[in-house]
Amino acid sequence: MPSTEYQGISAPLTNLGRSLLPLRRDQVHSMESPIGGSPSNEVELESFQRQVADRFHDLASVPSDELLSLPWVRKLLDVFLCCQEEFRVILFNNKSQVKKPPMDRLIADYNERTVKALDVCNAIRDGIEQIRQWQKLIEIVLCALGGDSNSSQRSLGEGQFRRARKALIDLAIAMLDEKDSGQAVAHRNRSFGRHNNSSSHSRDPHHRSLGHFRSLSWSVSRTWSAARQLQAIGNNLAVPRGNEVLATNGLAMPIYTMGSVLLFVMWALVAAIPCQDRGLQVHFNVPRQFPWAAPILSLHERILEESKKRDRKNACGLLREIYQMEKCSRLLGELADSVQFPLSEEKEKEVIQRVKELKLVSDAMKEDLEPLEKQVREVFHRIVRSRTEGLDSL
Amino acid sequence: MEESFNTEKSGSFPRLGRRRSKLETSSFKLEHVKTKEPDDKQITGPGLDCGLKRDHMLEQVDEFIGNLASAQDKSISPEIPDFVEPFLKMVDSRILTYEMREASAMFGQNQEEDSLFFEAVIRLSKVVDSLDEFAHDSETTGCFNRAGSILHHAMSLLENEFLALLDIWKRSCNMSILDSKTPKTPKESVFNSNQPETEIEFPYFPPESISVMNRVATAMIFAGYEAECCVAYTSLRLKALNAEFYNQGYENINMEDFQRMEWASQEREIENWIHIVTYCTVNLFPVERNLCNSIFEHDSTARRLFGDLATSMTVKLLNFPNALLLIKQYSTEKLFKFLDIHETLSDLISGIGNDLSTKDLISETSLTQHRIGEAAVSIFCELEDSIKSDNGRIPVANGAVHPLTRYTMNYLKYACEYKDTLEQVFREHNETEGSTEQEPKNATEDDGESTSTSHFATQLRLVMDLLDANIDMKSNLYKDPSLSYIFLMNNGRYMLQKVKSSTDIHEVTGNDWLRKRSSDLRQYHKNYQRETWSKVLQCMSHEGLQVHGRVSKSILKERFKSFNAMFEEIHKTQCSWMVSDEQLKSELKISISAVVIPAYRSFLGRFSSHLDTGKQQQKYIKYQPEEIEGLIDELFEGTVTSLGRRRHIHLSHGR
Repeated sequence: MPSTEYQGISAPLTNLGRSLLPLRRDQVHSMESPIGGSPSNEVELESFQRQVADRFHDLASVPSDELLSLPWVRKLLDVFLCCQEEFRVILFNNKSQVKKPPMDRLIADYNERTVKALDVCNAIRDGIEQIRQWQKLIEIVLCALGGDSNSSQRSLGEGQFRRARKALIDLAIAMLDEKDSGQAVAHRNRSFGRHNNSSSHSRDPHHRSLGHFRSLSWSVSRTWSAARQLQAIGNNLAVPRGNEVLATNGLAMPIYTMGSVLLFVMWALVAAIPCQDRGLQVHFNVPRQFPWAAPILSLHERILEESKKRDRKNACGLLREIYQMEKCSRLLGELADSVQFPLSEEKEKEVIQRVKELKLVSDAMKEDLEPLEKQVREVFHRIVRSRTEGLDSL
Repeated sequence: MEESFNTEKSGSFPRLGRRRSKLETSSFKLEHVKTKEPDDKQITGPGLDCGLKRDHMLEQVDEFIGNLASAQDKSISPEIPDFVEPFLKMVDSRILTYEMREASAMFGQNQEEDSLFFEAVIRLSKVVDSLDEFAHDSETTGCFNRAGSILHHAMSLLENEFLALLDIWKRSCNMSILDSKTPKTPKESVFNSNQPETEIEFPYFPPESISVMNRVATAMIFAGYEAECCVAYTSLRLKALNAEFYNQGYENINMEDFQRMEWASQEREIENWIHIVTYCTVNLFPVERNLCNSIFEHDSTARRLFGDLATSMTVKLLNFPNALLLIKQYSTEKLFKFLDIHETLSDLISGIGNDLSTKDLISETSLTQHRIGEAAVSIFCELEDSIKSDNGRIPVANGAVHPLTRYTMNYLKYACEYKDTLEQVFREHNETEGSTEQEPKNATEDDGESTSTSHFATQLRLVMDLLDANIDMKSNLYKDPSLSYIFLMNNGRYMLQKVKSSTDIHEVTGNDWLRKRSSDLRQYHKNYQRETWSKVLQCMSHEGLQVHGRVSKSILKERFKSFNAMFEEIHKTQCSWMVSDEQLKSELKISISAVVIPAYRSFLGRFSSHLDTGKQQQKYIKYQPEEIEGLIDELFEGTVTSLGRRRHIHLSHGR
């Protein structure tokens, strides 16, 4: 685990958070005793804050070349699932509080946010499906150029190159289609001009259909926008006021924490995975005294920086593997453009090297894409379950 | 778009393409020089010469392929015989000929020609594969590259034809899609489907194009282009299915938006959803499965492709029931919609079919179904809660059937129409809860009816027991015990009649319950008789009238007076009481008459002579037995009678 690397930084931050916690706890304590709050409650709430912080420190300790990689996104979802689970336990242990105002309102607010997150999950699942389509095209390239395990002995002939080229062009178009549709039309022709000398492909029935295919396959409505949805999730997400904390026996804090965690996780998913009307303009106004604020804010900043990089600006998703896929396939395409037959040994080596790189990306996708999809589904179902449980107890 | 079709290949590959296109052009020209009708010339052309030469060439190619396959040492490059080049040229020129035709109509003009082409492509693929196994020198490399390029060209041709054929749905149903800017409601689309212009059934493929697609797919898969073929197939079928969803009036609803809707709108959406899912189960999926099977010869490929399509479509459909789980109130009347969805999902699961490629989909569908089932359980439990919490202190006027009884019984009767689904839902619920529920106690005494041990029956009886307890409690609100019994009888009778009137609910409750209920009712009846009429009968007792061996006139007068008063009071009060079940009412009247009239008649016969005829008799014997009978007949009609002076209904409003 890379978490040890950042221990030096994360420890003081955690301490900073902790040093503030007892203060708040004392306030709560002094008011809560007459109502009959239990000391175990405080321990539980404090431990929750610390767990969330530890988990995000661990996530934030990722080296920059692994940030937004499939394994990292999966870890992010794991973190969410763990936090949600602990949160559920807290609510369960404080059932009596949950129905009382202002707790009922705070919970209803949080539930509203989670319902919005469900639509994000659906859109993300569509995005993963989209990546899977790209993956299929990459497999064709590998199959043609001997990158797949079955045909490793294949000679690199002209026919194979043509086949690979075709799949690479399909891939480039499919990936372009994912970008902002207005941009894509203008962009498509330009990048076509760069990659090959003919633009006739965009009028090919096959390619046109790939483009159309996308707009029809979403699970959310046509006008849905991930950017707006993220803003809605973050809407009115405010640090609970002192009197709210007191009136809820401190439970307002974990609700706020979960709201922030939810917002960040959904935001990071939208950042990583292609989905309808992506946009990352969400404000995180988390006060630094929360022990988990520092890692979340730092991750937020790093991801934003990533999105501003020149070669990522127009990316349909910041997922590292998408970037690698795009880069490897582009390099391979350029190389394929330049080869002449019979193939020189030097070129062949170069091609084999490029194919190897592409295979690495493909393998990473193969390994993690499906589990990621299952996790997104798990997040979806957990949210639904926590909602239905909530209804049961109310 | 068709025009651009021919230039597509070379355009994609600038360098190679340029080189190749020169080649193509030359062979193309060659064809044209030879004949003006290149299409027919090659196959049926003048003279058998050409055909014989070609057959000979193909035999030679087959032999060459056989030699390559049987060669021991693959490190030595094979010699490329002279006939290979004409063979490649032939295939290449055939490709060009086909390319000149309109996409989606390339094949089928000449069966023989088509067969020859497909066979040639298979041969070409074998040549490429066989050469691939050998070490290459410059000659074999050249041949390998050229053969490989032509094979790829052939594959691209086949792929394009495959896509064009698959895309044909668009041409046939373009109009109807364009016509309806807004999605149709299910009803409208059903209506429209009766009209001739949209008569073409999904998925709109004539048998000829299916057979061409089958040929194309088989050739592509043989040549190792399975991935291309499957990608093309999946993407166009998904597109068609999505369009068909749209045609059927289905559009995605965001979870968030659904949750905000009023129940009435949600109900409409549920109907819409049930329509589309049923349409998938009954129409789309079987048709789609057939299409896969008829195009792809390998069962595993066909299954996988169908599984992928079904998954893509179903995953979207599953969002909806999940959104329904999030609605804010699980009120009792929503039960039936949840059960409808549960049943629709059951059908869907069996429609998809369990298979390796649909394993995940089935488990996800089952999970959603399970959740819906759990929601149905909690809604049903809402009913229990609503019975428990119904503790109003004001009794129903006149001892009539309580609205709670009506509501609950009608609800249960309706619920029993879903008894199989409810049984499944409660069984699953009890299994996941670790089944702490007690088994029904009288299970074994119940005529061996299997339903008596069912989970739903247990639950149903629990509700009925709760209702009984509640009605019992409510009966105590009446000050007059007789009215309590009338109330109990009314409600008990109502329940009994509801159960008897529906075989569904009768099956669930079992005969034992009916017997118990009937005996309870008899007991209430007896109690009522005792409460109301025993004192009246005492007035007419022959005992206690004699003083010193003689009938005492004053006691007799007293008896008559109190009988009259009691009877009048009872008549006045109980005429306003309500027994709505006609049979129960007449049973009550008959039994009252049977007790009161003979006693009165005999009392009258025995003692009326002791009163002085005339004034005294008129004063004390106010009613003849026939009149008593008539008055008894006026009871329980819920009316205030002429006999009653006060309109006060004898009800207690206290605790």
